[in-house]
Amino acid sequence: MSPGAEKPRALRDPTTEPGWVRWLLILVAVGYLLAMLVLPTLSVFIEALAKGIDAYLKAIGDEDALSAIRLTLFVAAIAVPLNVVFGVGAAWAIAKFEFRGKSLLITLIDLPFSVSPVISGLIYVLLYSIHGWFGPTLDALGIKVVFSVSGIVLVTIFVTFPFVARELIPLMQEQGTDEEQAAISLGANGLQTFFRVTLPNVTWGLLYGVLLCNARAMGEFGAVSVVSGHIRGLTNTMPLHIEILYNEYDFVGAFAVASLLAMLALVTLALKSLLEWRYADRLAGGARH
Amino acid sequence: MSITVTSLVKHFDNFAALKGVDLSVRPGEFLALLGPSGSGKTTLLRILAGLDFPDAGQLTIDEVDVSEQGARDRQMGFVFQHYALFKHMTVAQNVAFGLRVKPRRERPSGTEIKERVDRLLQLVQLEQLGDRYPAQLSGGQRQRVALARALAIEPRVLLLDEPFGALDAKVRKDLRRWLRGLHDEMGITSIFVSHDQEEALELADRVAVMSEGRIAQIGTPTEIYRNPANAFVCEFLGNTNRLACRIEKGGAKLGEQFFAAAVPSDAPPLAGVAYVRPEDCDIHPEPNGPGLKARVLKIHAAGPAVRVELRRLESDEIIEVHLPPGSEAPEIGRDVALTFRRVRIFPVATG
Repeated sequence: MSPGAEKPRALRDPTTEPGWVRWLLILVAVGYLLAMLVLPTLSVFIEALAKGIDAYLKAIGDEDALSAIRLTLFVAAIAVPLNVVFGVGAAWAIAKFEFRGKSLLITLIDLPFSVSPVISGLIYVLLYSIHGWFGPTLDALGIKVVFSVSGIVLVTIFVTFPFVARELIPLMQEQGTDEEQAAISLGANGLQTFFRVTLPNVTWGLLYGVLLCNARAMGEFGAVSVVSGHIRGLTNTMPLHIEILYNEYDFVGAFAVASLLAMLALVTLALKSLLEWRYADRLAGGARH
Repeated sequence: MSITVTSLVKHFDNFAALKGVDLSVRPGEFLALLGPSGSGKTTLLRILAGLDFPDAGQLTIDEVDVSEQGARDRQMGFVFQHYALFKHMTVAQNVAFGLRVKPRRERPSGTEIKERVDRLLQLVQLEQLGDRYPAQLSGGQRQRVALARALAIEPRVLLLDEPFGALDAKVRKDLRRWLRGLHDEMGITSIFVSHDQEEALELADRVAVMSEGRIAQIGTPTEIYRNPANAFVCEFLGNTNRLACRIEKGGAKLGEQFFAAAVPSDAPPLAGVAYVRPEDCDIHPEPNGPGLKARVLKIHAAGPAVRVELRRLESDEIIEVHLPPGSEAPEIGRDVALTFRRVRIFPVATG
């Protein structure tokens, strides 16, 4: 056997691929990531700073841009907590109890995922606009939904509905009810059991769900676009504002605002990794992520 | 404190887990619920704890009907088969849990809770491990934490669901003995579920043998071992030989010996099974002497008893006999006569 050849069959680990296969796969994976994720993200920052740091800061400090940022934050601040409450409640009911209609509930929770965001926006317009089903009633009450902030909030809630629930349901189901039963046998009531036993066990899944929910809430475009009416300074979220800037050929402006969203994504990923790293032993005890 | 169960019935969908169970638990006793899987023993235990509710029947504790009371009000310590420790809490926090969730007026102060937890950890010999997490403990250690946690609330009764099922044999034996010692020291009424008869017979004051949702027999380990009330208990406990026989005139004959059966003397003859324990047999080397004729097949002399395997000549049934260690065993292939010191005879079960 010549020295340059592969190790003789008998010495190779039977459960790993030969060297060249492993390298090829790694190259393909890295190449894909570079092309699809890293380069596009990098290009956002490159384009944003194309005309220098002053132009960048000016674009972000613009009145309309600031109001878009405020609106995005506002919408997320309402949608995310509401969906956390709903998601935790639904997952708890599904995982710890038996009741009729359980599968129906699970299917309904997945609905926003299977519907195109534009359709979701359209549904809200159909229901809540002046000519829609609830239109006359709402108008009589003086409540405006479509082309206003409330519409944007509602639609964002709908679209980010499933994130927390979907993350928690399998996690809670896998954990079963043993610990809850133990808590009850020791004298804890329902609320104590929930806050001291159930919730701490799903912290990591919950955090992950919140991160996903938040990212989507801030970045949602399609549904919000249909419902918002694009009123500059009033009903424009960041994604919508970016579109407007881009359509006006203000590329630096568009990419500058976009870079903020990109930074948000990087920050949330960093947070998630940090938390995982710091609480490694607790994770080893049971939760998945 | 005494517990009384009357005519308890429990169904799960189409499956009848308990078909009418009556049980009286004496204060301070160590009771075992023993039986094969599906016999209803865990269901019964959970109903006692309030983790499940019966479909019919009554449950009273100290004369008070608690059938409607939930688990949190019954003040019973439950030790789960797979421990159910709170994985995100340390050992000390686990043990303190029951004390921390007490209503404000009953809750002891922070210092007192810490003291009690320390004392309990000492009791279960885990003083050094208070700050560890369950994931960092061995199976035996986790079991002791589960026990300490259940004892923290000073329960009236301790309920254990196959407490040693998930542990390996050596740890199991040690913990067994230790648990009994703990019970004797604390005097707390304890009920534990097991499918391991050696464990149940060694530990318990009384054993309730369960089969198919009913209690087949309840008594002290010696009672149920020496005087099994029915065929099921006979076969379930220890080694036993089954010999086909014919019951007439209130009993059956094995060799030259006549043994009584719980059948009236004037009943028509019927087929029966004679149960004999291997240690209740005597081997007589003269094949023509009085006794059941059998041929020696195998001899295992290594071990706490000399085990002789024989074949009954008239029916080809295999009989196992245990002789005291060091006894002289007959040769293989030899025909011998067997006499018996103690035999239980039951009619063959119909249907």
